[in-house]
Amino acid sequence: MKNFKFQISNFKIALFLSLCCAAAVLLYCSPSFAELTIKANHDHITIDFFYHGSTVSVSGISDPGTDLIVKIASPEGHQALRKKGKAGGVLWMNVGELKFEDMSNFYSLHSTGKPDEILNREEIDKYVIGYPAINRHAKISPVANEEEKNKWFDEFIKFKESSKLYSVSSGKISRTVKDGKQEYSIKLDWPYQAPPGDYIVTVYAVKDKKIVEKAETKVFVEQVGFVKTLFDMAKNKGALYGIISIVAAIGAGFGVGLIFGKGGGAH
Amino acid sequence: MYLYLPVALTSINILIPIGLGLAVGLLSGLFGVGGGFLMTPLLIMFGIPSTVAAATDSNQIVAASTSGTYAHWKVGNVDFKMGLYLLVGGFIGGLFGVQAIKVLKATGNADFVIKMTYVLMLGIVGTYMFIESLASMRKAKKKGDVKLTEPTQKDSAFGRFLKSLPLQTHFEKSGVTHSLLLPVIFGGFVGVLAAIMGVGGGFLMVPVMVYILRMPMHVVVGTSLFQILFNCIEVTFLQAYTNHTVDFILAVLLLLGSTVGAQIGTVFGRKLKGDQLKIILAVIVLVVTVKIVFELTLTPSLLLAQGGGH
Repeated sequence: MKNFKFQISNFKIALFLSLCCAAAVLLYCSPSFAELTIKANHDHITIDFFYHGSTVSVSGISDPGTDLIVKIASPEGHQALRKKGKAGGVLWMNVGELKFEDMSNFYSLHSTGKPDEILNREEIDKYVIGYPAINRHAKISPVANEEEKNKWFDEFIKFKESSKLYSVSSGKISRTVKDGKQEYSIKLDWPYQAPPGDYIVTVYAVKDKKIVEKAETKVFVEQVGFVKTLFDMAKNKGALYGIISIVAAIGAGFGVGLIFGKGGGAH
Repeated sequence: MYLYLPVALTSINILIPIGLGLAVGLLSGLFGVGGGFLMTPLLIMFGIPSTVAAATDSNQIVAASTSGTYAHWKVGNVDFKMGLYLLVGGFIGGLFGVQAIKVLKATGNADFVIKMTYVLMLGIVGTYMFIESLASMRKAKKKGDVKLTEPTQKDSAFGRFLKSLPLQTHFEKSGVTHSLLLPVIFGGFVGVLAAIMGVGGGFLMVPVMVYILRMPMHVVVGTSLFQILFNCIEVTFLQAYTNHTVDFILAVLLLLGSTVGAQIGTVFGRKLKGDQLKIILAVIVLVVTVKIVFELTLTPSLLLAQGGGH
């Protein structure tokens, strides 16, 4: 009986050792196991009266030698924009509405190299990296053909870039290797035009034209204090908000009238 | 110094709205126009969404026109009786105008009709006022008249027709006698157009009062402001209640400038003669017309814009 117990415990030790060896071999053979980390130094942006945009630093650790892509985007959704065209072939005016589906209102992409040089097409499309990938991923309606879709997609990008809601850059991420690990960081201007909401910050580690790892964090933009009170009131208590706005305007008009009136008089 | 605007969701250098308010308020006090046809496009140019720009502008016009009406009332230049009838007409006309817009939108021609009405109205009113006030100034110069007379009711067929209308009443402040129907009908006509164009209609109401109701220019300015005040109260409330597009902070910044501007405008206005006021207003209206014509014919830099409004 004793002999049998001894055999079982020996077997357990052997099993444990072999599992450890297998895990070590697996870890060693894995293409990237240096954990990819991401941190946004300013992950809660508060909007008060004096808010004029902010800066967000994204940093972390990755495997040495990997290329990196940092993407900040708002959740994908539906946007309707008015389009301008020539009415009667002569006059520029609004000629209808275009619906943009599966597109983010905010999209900011930064990479160590140009996406189409460091990634293959499948990966670019899978992770929606860069404007051409967004174009292939998004739906625009109503458009007659692919050519028209491309035209309005370009206009969409122009429109978003003009309000600083879309941006792409390459070569701005700094990388340093320390203790066998690669530290990366990028400092980004956060535009005041970006509305309150959740923004997903994703870093992709790229090796051999493939994404080998990704890590995520969030940036939360929120109105606070009186700015929030006014916004909520405008949205939820429209009648009261309207009356207050009118009374304040009439009061201000009379107030200024009285101040000036003291120095004036009838003619 | 920058301030964040909670409804427009953007940040703005406070000197911009205060400066714009001052300039447009000055015009308001001078000519009795709300200035929406100038202010709204300027606000859009500085990054305010179009729907917020239009709604917030009405809110600040409430302040500027209160300030202007008060200043004009103090010097006896507001014909409340006439203003009231114009308001009644304007209100009824506004209801018809809103229905007209609904029909136009259903047929898909709304934007074209709105833009064309706007350009034609501005162009016709501006040109007519310009020619008329120029001719009137020349005539006065020839006669060596020290005091410029306002246009007087000619004994024309149109004049006789107006006199033959029922419900004739005397408007003491303006020194004219008209049928009650006249301000109601023409107020209604301006109301329809203003609703179609999405503007206050001051630049249309002023010529109606000058050329059809034959009111003295200074009383026209005060009465127009009184009428605009009530229109803009209604529009501000509706915009805040239904569209949630009034930005209170932006309105406060604008009115800081416009209320003061309206007072200064009133003071300046008293120093100018009726025809001088008319010709300057005509030039401003014509400049805006030319600007809109350019916008309509030159390729815009952006072919997409935020949805809503017109």
